[in-house]
Amino acid sequence: MGFRRLLAVAMGLSLLATACGDSGSDEAGSGGGRFVYANPFPISDLDPSSAFSSENVVLQNVYETLTTYNPPGASDLVSGALAESWEANDDATVWTFNLREGVTFHDGAALTAQAVVDSLQRTIDLDLGAAFILLPIDSMEAVDDLTVQFNLAYPAPMDLVMSSNYGVYIMSPEAVSQDDAWFNEGNEAGTGPYTISSFTPGESTVLTQYEDYWGGWTDGQIAEAEIQLVEDPVLAEQLVRGGDADFTYNLPFDSYDALSSEDGLTVVRAQSMTNLFGLLNHERLSPEVREAMVLSFPYDDVVESLYGGESSRAQGIVPQAVWGSSDSLTLPETDLARAAELISAAGAEGTEVTYSFDAGTTEQQQIGEVWKTNLADIGIDLVLDPLTFDARWEIAQADPANAQDVFTMFWFPTFVTPYDFLFSLFHSEDAPFFNLGYYSNPEFDTLIDDGDAVSGLSPDEAADLFTKAQQILIEDNAAVFMLDVPNTEVISSDVEGHVANPAYANVVRFYNLTR
Amino acid sequence: MGGPVASSSARRGLLPGLATPTPGSAVWYYRRSPLGLLAAGVIAVFVVAAVAAPWLTPFADQGRGDAELPSRLMAPNAVNWLGTDDLGRDILARLLFGARTALIVAVGVVAAAVIIGVLVGAIAGYFGGWVDEILMRITDTFLAFPPLLLAVVVAAALGPSLRNTIVAIAVSWWPWYARQVRAQVLSLRERPFVQALQVVGVPTRQIITRHVIPNAMTPVWVQSTADLGAAVLTAAGLSFVGLGPRPPTADWGVMIADGRQFVLSGQWWIAGFAGLAITLVALAFNLMGDVIRDVTDPKTRGNL
Repeated sequence: MGFRRLLAVAMGLSLLATACGDSGSDEAGSGGGRFVYANPFPISDLDPSSAFSSENVVLQNVYETLTTYNPPGASDLVSGALAESWEANDDATVWTFNLREGVTFHDGAALTAQAVVDSLQRTIDLDLGAAFILLPIDSMEAVDDLTVQFNLAYPAPMDLVMSSNYGVYIMSPEAVSQDDAWFNEGNEAGTGPYTISSFTPGESTVLTQYEDYWGGWTDGQIAEAEIQLVEDPVLAEQLVRGGDADFTYNLPFDSYDALSSEDGLTVVRAQSMTNLFGLLNHERLSPEVREAMVLSFPYDDVVESLYGGESSRAQGIVPQAVWGSSDSLTLPETDLARAAELISAAGAEGTEVTYSFDAGTTEQQQIGEVWKTNLADIGIDLVLDPLTFDARWEIAQADPANAQDVFTMFWFPTFVTPYDFLFSLFHSEDAPFFNLGYYSNPEFDTLIDDGDAVSGLSPDEAADLFTKAQQILIEDNAAVFMLDVPNTEVISSDVEGHVANPAYANVVRFYNLTR
Repeated sequence: MGGPVASSSARRGLLPGLATPTPGSAVWYYRRSPLGLLAAGVIAVFVVAAVAAPWLTPFADQGRGDAELPSRLMAPNAVNWLGTDDLGRDILARLLFGARTALIVAVGVVAAAVIIGVLVGAIAGYFGGWVDEILMRITDTFLAFPPLLLAVVVAAALGPSLRNTIVAIAVSWWPWYARQVRAQVLSLRERPFVQALQVVGVPTRQIITRHVIPNAMTPVWVQSTADLGAAVLTAAGLSFVGLGPRPPTADWGVMIADGRQFVLSGQWWIAGFAGLAITLVALAFNLMGDVIRDVTDPKTRGNL
């Protein structure tokens, strides 16, 4: 029993020590040529055809796509990556991509048009993750060794599609025939500037220079990058402060001000295409309760107080920085009196509503607590349920009738189009994947599918359809559209070359860095 | 527990040249065990804070969890004596309501562990033989796990809530009481008064509950007092790692976990005061356990 008392005292001291601030270890900062990325979210799936969560930081450095979406300020939306040039017919139904010469995969094979066709076919065949972005493809062919042609069933902006975060990575013929397990052992065969030299699930991924990268190498570039899983934001902050990590994000928003005055660290505040919202469970919540929840959300408080005015209220589900977003939607305002009337008319006082959020993500918890205060006033008890993302995703996919009532989630575009937000989160699904409010409305489905079908030819017409669809989501109270979250990151000041690109939220392209 | 904590008599006792204090008065306790009295004081404050939390602060709603965004992250000041947290809630109010959570957990855990432990220990010790074997092997199974680890596993399996915290810690603690009581009962059952009761034909249940258990309880009282503090600390540990009550229930461990991230940017008061509260309460119960042990132990009683 003495042991327990000793333990008690030891725990007391350690809690007190934590409370008084722990400066962390003081190891020497990582030397030149090495870069440590403290990653707040896990690498759950390294299969480039099916990954669809937070794996893009690895995939974007190991694999390449035909095109990449440019950071804000560029004259064109996309630039070539594996493709040097491309053209489409007038209908935007036939697309031809000309591949770069002299590109090799990490296993030594040369990049060919057939490898491109096979890689994309693998995504289509698996039909997981981001496979939906390839739906327009009717057929693909390798015209010659370095020319790929896509024949589409309906017009689509394939240059944008091919810049996606997911589903369009090109891999060697050898890798195409491998299964999910092979990739998740840390194997790969992309064309990117880095190879995976070690992968420990739940801990870290180490990337090293691929000597024969087509872009070539110069002195001062990053030779080795380690992507470390650091789910605890406080630990992540300590690591960057102590020089043990060079980059992180998803810190409590309040800490960036203090970090910006810290020697050796730079706070990057960039345009954002990431938003935060709460999907409302249509199997469990009545329309009245959903409307009351939407009306009781503290929109202005969240933007003004929690984010110090640096974010903006979400205008529907499509972030303002994404083309086709709308600033003319009729949005609900916080109105507790009206919400209380609805609850009382529905006899729903005392209803318990669960709020599922990412444990450790400060703002999601703060938002939940502020919202809870409002909901308590109208007779709804919001129960905050913090879990890891993987755990809550599993619960949400299992059985809608017994799942959470509110699924809180960040979303950044798969590729930059309103359709991604609308389709992934609200299109009818046979089995729940990311439509975790279980929303289903045939009228809405038709509108967005039509919008997608014309987006290749006339983006303006598509934007109109998407706007109509967004207004339906708002009228149906399909979700609580909270805010476009600021895209804020911390990086070591001695590293040059990082450009925050909202289309690849929080991805660092290690190849572009020098130190 | 300490006697009446009458401040006026305590003050009188500090004056030199006064007559020997009356046994049982605060001064009498103070002379014999100043730390014990101090501990009793802290415990009294803790219990009063827990019971009377809503009446002790003008910010009771914030203590329960209501956000007050305009006053976010304010340093200690005249209105919010201990500052405010990231949602603008008064830290003192949160501490008071957190005392409630801590008291419920402490009493809940110790009561559950004592009841289960004493029953199992008494039955095993009194009957001996295969009953003893079975019960003690079960007890050993639980003892085979480090208590904190077992509590973490149970809490993780049950999900975060106040009730589950109590269950998780009690599950890992009862075997210690069972062992202790069994040892006492083993010697008690050989005593003439127990054998006399058996001969007279008093029902076994009555012998155990009325005669054996009451006589085996002394070490249990000592231990359970100290364990109240350990329970506060363990519960704070579970909350700290996210296995305690759900937000926004006020909880000292959660306050440290949530406040931790603000320490780096200079807002030390959220985690700092919560850490202080935990340390004081845990220490007070430990000291109180020592005092009770000294009082009840014939070897040290005279030296008090």
